[in-house]
Amino acid sequence: MSRREGSLEDPQADSSVSLLPHLEAKIRQTHSLAHLLTKYAEQLLQEYVQHQGDPFGLPGFSPPRLPVAGLSAPAPSHAGLPLPERLRLDAAALAALPPLLDAVRRRQAELNPRAPRLLRHLEDAARQVRALGAALETVLAALGAAAHGPRPEPPATATAATAATATAAGVFPAKVLGLRVCGLYREWVSRTEGDLSQLVPGGPA
Amino acid sequence: MPAGRPGPAAQSARRPPPLLPLLLLCVLGAPRAGSGAHTAVISPQDPTLLIGSSLQATCSVHGDPPGATAEGLYWTLNGRRLAPELSRVLNASTLALALANLNGSRQQSGDNLVCHARDGSILAGSCLYVGLPPEKPFNISCWSKNMKDLTCRWTPGAHGETFLHTNYSLKYKLRWYGQDNTCEEYHTVGPHSCHVPKDLALFTPYEIWVEATNRLGSARSDVLTLDILDVVTTDPPPDVHVSRVGGLEDQLSVRWVSPPALKDFLFQAKYQIRYRVEDSVDWKVVDDVSNQTSCRLAGLKPGTVYFVQVRCNPFGIYGSKKAGIWSEWSHPTAASTPRSGEAGPGSPRATPSRGGGEPSSGPVRRELKQFLGWLKKHAYCSNLSFRLYDQWRAWMQKSHKTRNQVGRRRGPAQVGVGEGTGRGAGGKQAGEAGPQPPRHRRLPSKHRTRGSCPRADGARREVSGAGRAGGRGARRGPLPPLAAGLARNPPPCPSLRAADAQPLRLPVVVFSGVSLAW
Repeated sequence: MSRREGSLEDPQADSSVSLLPHLEAKIRQTHSLAHLLTKYAEQLLQEYVQHQGDPFGLPGFSPPRLPVAGLSAPAPSHAGLPLPERLRLDAAALAALPPLLDAVRRRQAELNPRAPRLLRHLEDAARQVRALGAALETVLAALGAAAHGPRPEPPATATAATAATATAAGVFPAKVLGLRVCGLYREWVSRTEGDLSQLVPGGPA
Repeated sequence: MPAGRPGPAAQSARRPPPLLPLLLLCVLGAPRAGSGAHTAVISPQDPTLLIGSSLQATCSVHGDPPGATAEGLYWTLNGRRLAPELSRVLNASTLALALANLNGSRQQSGDNLVCHARDGSILAGSCLYVGLPPEKPFNISCWSKNMKDLTCRWTPGAHGETFLHTNYSLKYKLRWYGQDNTCEEYHTVGPHSCHVPKDLALFTPYEIWVEATNRLGSARSDVLTLDILDVVTTDPPPDVHVSRVGGLEDQLSVRWVSPPALKDFLFQAKYQIRYRVEDSVDWKVVDDVSNQTSCRLAGLKPGTVYFVQVRCNPFGIYGSKKAGIWSEWSHPTAASTPRSGEAGPGSPRATPSRGGGEPSSGPVRRELKQFLGWLKKHAYCSNLSFRLYDQWRAWMQKSHKTRNQVGRRRGPAQVGVGEGTGRGAGGKQAGEAGPQPPRHRRLPSKHRTRGSCPRADGARREVSGAGRAGGRGARRGPLPPLAAGLARNPPPCPSLRAADAQPLRLPVVVFSGVSLAW
């Protein structure tokens, strides 16, 4: 799929250009995966708060939204960006999530060793978000919308610092950090699903 | 700074949080842009405490603008606001807390103690670990499946619940040499178990123990010493088949194969059989089916479906004097006994009792069962009685001439029981000797009870109960004199091994009141 079979620049204008069936299938598949991971992310968040104890699961619990190294929540202006830019930001976020989820899993293995389901779901989340990120990169490359030049990926040192901090910090901050990471995971896969839906043929423009 | 009083072996849950060189992630209290928010630190961070102990904690506020006040701060524990009287303002920026008689932690990740600002926002948090040190694990039991591995199980101390995550580690070493080894495969047969899959030595003792560790301390079980060969178990016997015994309505034959995994090792297997009727939950157990792979169950109800299971004990591997460990029961195998009067292949015909035909008529059969039930109970020769019954039946088939000579009688009659007793079949006039079964006569194979085994207690009760109940038309009354004498002084059981070729030496059983009209 080296040729641009479609353009992300103006999907409406190029609607008459039909995407190759396999690209179309790839987009649908990636969108479906994002939809599935959105549901898994919601379940993971619920499971996570249950194991941290109250007040984590209580309604109205609002810990500080701590900044996480190399990853922030989707900006309010995200929805107003051009689709290619949105998808590139989605891909960057998906690439930053796996090491953060791994760090949370390692910490939870110490705090909740008798919660094998939670640990397994954190491990699955890291693997699944890697797969979604790779699929999205493939779609972007096929559409010629992959990032040109160095992508603003999270620096490795930042990710490592987050991982180290997750290990060294007190237990309560570590619980809050894990909650934050699970929340970011949910926000970004949901954002990816929404952005991809605009690419799916027959989907919303 | 006031701090909680940890228990005797308390460990700090975590190192104090280091300064964060990159500060890309802040502990709680990162100033929110433009909010002028404060930061706070709770001390102690993540303490470990004994149940019932007390905690003194502080929440110290720093912030922008400076001079943050402790006024309005409050505490929550696991989401519940703590009573104001438990807190007091130490100084302008510090709120103290005193908790007494702490309960065990609600979750293994620690109880969440949180310091809140006046508006409810979270300033800082600390996790409390309140529990008990582990108690000594006990009751370690181990077994080896086919001498290839070792699985051990234990009980985690007298009280079990420590409210803290407690790690159990199974250790083992060769008694006379070698280093400590740690089992790695846990929870294989329950929460407190471990499996050692390989590299185990035979003919030499192992020492095995369990170490329990949590934040408040550790405990070690007593050492168990064993040789793998003394704790061997095996698979249940495969290929269990249950079948009818011709037309015999109260018997089923059970056959099985010895477990293949241990067939190359010299051992004397012991087997155990259990059976139950289809709609019952009560199993009857046949013990001590020693080293045979077949057994006949008797005293069963006609026309009834039975479930049967067999298990094996690999007794005496490599000359060990100790019994092994019983295997699991085999999968249930079902079979039904013939209905009353139902003819089966090779079964004796149920013919009227006069002149010829089998002595399988109801009253005689019931009375024979009565007799056998009494014999089993009082003579303690359960297997003997069953074989005698078989031999008696076989002999009666061939002695119908004798039957024709027997009328209804009252009074004592002599009954020769079994082969080689030298006494005639029942129904003779007192003192007369009827035709005698020849000594040393070998019975046809279909009547030989090869592998017959003792009846279960329940089965025994079932038969003698039926005998006592008598069924319809059974006679009741005092035991005849000789029978009564036998009841007081039961004869010893003769050996039945290869009994077909040897005469049975038994006293003549004389009883009255038994109708012997065939």
